[in-house]
Amino acid sequence: MTFRQRSNWVGYAFLAPYLLSFLIFVFLPVCMSLWLSVVQLDLSNATHTKMVGFQNFQDAFKDDLFWKATSATLRYAALMVPAVLLIGTLLAFGLFGMNKGRDTVRAFIYVPGMLNVAAAGILWQWFFNTEFGLINFVAHKIGLPALPWLSDKAYAMPAVVIMSIWWTIGATAIVILTSLQQIPTSFLEAASLDGASGRQMVSRIILPILRPVLFFVFITTTIGAFQMFGQAMILTGGGPEFSTRGLVQFMFETAFNGFRFGYGAAVSWLLFGMIAVFAVIQAAFLRRQA
Amino acid sequence: MRRLESFSIHGLLAGLALIVIASGVTRSVLTGGLTVSKKVNITFWNGFTGPDGVVMLDTIKRFNEANPDVDVSMQRIPWGTYYNKLTVAGSDGGGPALFIVHADALPRMRRAGFVATIEEAFQGPGALNRADFDPYVLDRVKFNGVFNGVPLDIHPQGLYCNAEMLKQAGMVDANGNAHVPQTKEEFLHAMKATTIEVSANQPEKQWGYALTAWGSNMRCMMAQFDGRYVDQNGSPVLDCPENIKALEFVANLAKNGTVPPPSNGLGWFGYRQKKVAMVWDGVFMLGDLTRMNSFHYLGGMIPTIGNHPGTMANSHVMCLRKGLTDKEKAACVRFIQYVSNHSLEWAAAGQVPARRSLRATPEFRAMQVQNAFAKQIPYMQYPPKTPVIFEFQLILDLAVEKAVRGQAEPKKALREANKAVIDILNRDKVEHPEDQGS
Amino acid sequence: MKQKRLFLRAIMYAIGLLFLVPMFIMVLTSFKSEKEVLEPASLFPHSFTTTNYEQAVHSAAEAPVMLWGLNSLFVSCSVTLLVVIMSSMSAFAITRIRVKGGETLMNILVATMMVPSQLFLIPMYVILGRMHILDTPYALILPATAGGFGIFMVSQFMRSLPPSLEEAALIDGCSFPQVYWRITLPLCGPALATLAVFTFIASWNDYITPLVFMEKITNYTLPVGIALFQSSYSTQYGLTLSTCILATLPLLIVFLIFQKQIIESMSSSGLKD
Repeated sequence: MTFRQRSNWVGYAFLAPYLLSFLIFVFLPVCMSLWLSVVQLDLSNATHTKMVGFQNFQDAFKDDLFWKATSATLRYAALMVPAVLLIGTLLAFGLFGMNKGRDTVRAFIYVPGMLNVAAAGILWQWFFNTEFGLINFVAHKIGLPALPWLSDKAYAMPAVVIMSIWWTIGATAIVILTSLQQIPTSFLEAASLDGASGRQMVSRIILPILRPVLFFVFITTTIGAFQMFGQAMILTGGGPEFSTRGLVQFMFETAFNGFRFGYGAAVSWLLFGMIAVFAVIQAAFLRRQA
Repeated sequence: MRRLESFSIHGLLAGLALIVIASGVTRSVLTGGLTVSKKVNITFWNGFTGPDGVVMLDTIKRFNEANPDVDVSMQRIPWGTYYNKLTVAGSDGGGPALFIVHADALPRMRRAGFVATIEEAFQGPGALNRADFDPYVLDRVKFNGVFNGVPLDIHPQGLYCNAEMLKQAGMVDANGNAHVPQTKEEFLHAMKATTIEVSANQPEKQWGYALTAWGSNMRCMMAQFDGRYVDQNGSPVLDCPENIKALEFVANLAKNGTVPPPSNGLGWFGYRQKKVAMVWDGVFMLGDLTRMNSFHYLGGMIPTIGNHPGTMANSHVMCLRKGLTDKEKAACVRFIQYVSNHSLEWAAAGQVPARRSLRATPEFRAMQVQNAFAKQIPYMQYPPKTPVIFEFQLILDLAVEKAVRGQAEPKKALREANKAVIDILNRDKVEHPEDQGS
Repeated sequence: MKQKRLFLRAIMYAIGLLFLVPMFIMVLTSFKSEKEVLEPASLFPHSFTTTNYEQAVHSAAEAPVMLWGLNSLFVSCSVTLLVVIMSSMSAFAITRIRVKGGETLMNILVATMMVPSQLFLIPMYVILGRMHILDTPYALILPATAGGFGIFMVSQFMRSLPPSLEEAALIDGCSFPQVYWRITLPLCGPALATLAVFTFIASWNDYITPLVFMEKITNYTLPVGIALFQSSYSTQYGLTLSTCILATLPLLIVFLIFQKQIIESMSSSGLKD
């Protein structure tokens, strides 16, 4: 027997535990949120809940705050996705190139990721505090101007991005590194014996092997960036003037603070649409490169 | 010959499985065997995670001792996530028997069907005396003439001063004690006098005054300038001349550079760091100061800048869930009455009791900050009583932020905000025609 | 060549330390007195004090910290175990056995990851309520196994490894379960160890689900319990940071204890010549 003779039943048996969990805890809630997006939910009296069709979606398009949140999400993703991919890959290659101390440095880079978002947020909120914060305290000591990090529209989003990179980049670097380490050393040795240059090794051997993992990193980073929530919530509260209040925070606050669950669901599905479009474009682009 | 080197993944899985079994068994031994009591069990949710929670726990302990047939257990959830938890539980008809809701959030929770009526607390033996509450505070919990909760406290904003800094700046009374500024002139003078520029023996600038949450600062001024959220017909009038005057005062402080560059929450932080001499903030911040030693602080009314004294305020309201049994409801009512009668201890944690009789006691008079803040009670202004309060506040805060940062003139910012609020209220009328006005 | 390597190592160490600086500051600050936090004359505490920690633990009456830690350990280990096994099994079915519809399922999984999960709080509460597992650790464990991240990650790793070894074993007469357990699992060891670390940390740090789904204080997990120490209105950074450290410390300890094993399974490539 080989993999070529498919054995569907054994395969489904392997999938069964996950599928069961998926149906109950993902499929069911997704269906419920689809239903939510076309109704106007009345929490106090289920019989007052009425179908409103695409009204919630139309409301979103007319809502200034929705567009503000969309803009914040797009700006965050535009900064975050390339930064994470570039820095993450560079860090992974840097670690891969280390013959000694690789494990130590990898642990160093990963430690911030162990903090929960509240701890990381509180820490950086204190660092970024304009008047009484640590960064400006140090800047002042070495003669740099103090920047209004969290209270100026120009700096608030970069501040959120800086904190997020510090907090999440370790995971990205480790995923890429893990894949790099799985390339059998014999491949690389053989290639270098054949006289391949460093660049050739990267483009001909390493990148093709890395492609599935890079694809994974691309997609998960994009999803993570579009769903940014906790960092801005704690660092800036979404301010100044809503400039860092992303779609998930907007959705969450509309649903849970404003009690407009139908509208919140519609916003969720619009966000889903945005991520899907970006993901498909990226996937197509990556496939063309292949 | 290729061979498999690493089998440690099996070790990892086995290790995990071992820990799961060991910790699972231990925790079930530790948490198991809880006896089922015949008492009426009442769960009480609130966000009192600070010193206030310690006082409340103590009150509950004494209540449970005095009432052997009832067992009240309190669950504290940080305010930041409190309403999320309450909402999720309430949406499925569950949740605690008893819970705290802020007065401004009550219309929203009531509409969602989370809150039961509570006339019983004001009736029968042990009834609370309505006359002991300020009428406009009671009005916050009355809907269509029926009580939907019992106000536990009142938390106004007030002026916090650093006594040392006032003294250094020569702001003293006849006895040489620090004098808390009360009028506009005194306040502006104190602000100037306590602002100290960087010099040889002043490594960092000391500010006389800093904005805290500017939305709250603005609301205090609204109360003083006779500003309003809505007119008699319930139509929003955020851009009324009185509000514009109030916002102009707050915005000008930032514009003239007499306060540090505005950043929400920063003022309080600077005040605690002893880099700011005066701030306006809620009475509940007191708990944060009582834990500091060697800090001489004084409380006062918000200086009268507008037509008369005034400040913004809110209340913690004790509410009941719908669908309680008669027995549970009776126990809850007894507990609410007990807590209300004992809210003087509660005041020590940084609150002002909702009961007039308790505010008249010498014990309360001796609480410097609480007592000073409580003097503003006749002039307080609560946020508007509307289920769309969240959006209402959000829009007003945005307008204040724009004005404070100099992004828009106060008049223009408020006009835009008013338009947005009108849209929200109109939408709400369409969505909830059955629940308009109360 | 050697100098180049030395240079690289120096740079990587510098970067690594840069990442650690905020953590150092956090730890140092948590040992400072209130006054020193407010007036940072130097990074290091002048008078080393444990007041913040004492205050954190003392200020919460009825705080079963050990029990919270135990709950966290139980939940996080269960989630990690289940996620690693279920993800690798599913990825095996999709990328190795290549079951019919496997790739479609994969696309659906990735698509569902794009829906923000915050909205699922209420549906999930209703579902768990109907299953009668609210306020039990299972309300945290079971839903955590449904995410698509693990399968996606393990599948992509499997795709980058040629299935030649597994094919050989099949020809030798091994069954699919045997191949999965004896060959695929060790082959994917590094990826699975990485996934285990991610899953464990994410589960440990989860805040909103235990907050919403747990009722009794004895069922709290550590981060939710620790959050009780923080006064809602407080701006005491020393106290806040010390509570954060208390919540993260067990995670660091677990990581340090198992680091050797984790790192080993992470870095050893399955194949050696």
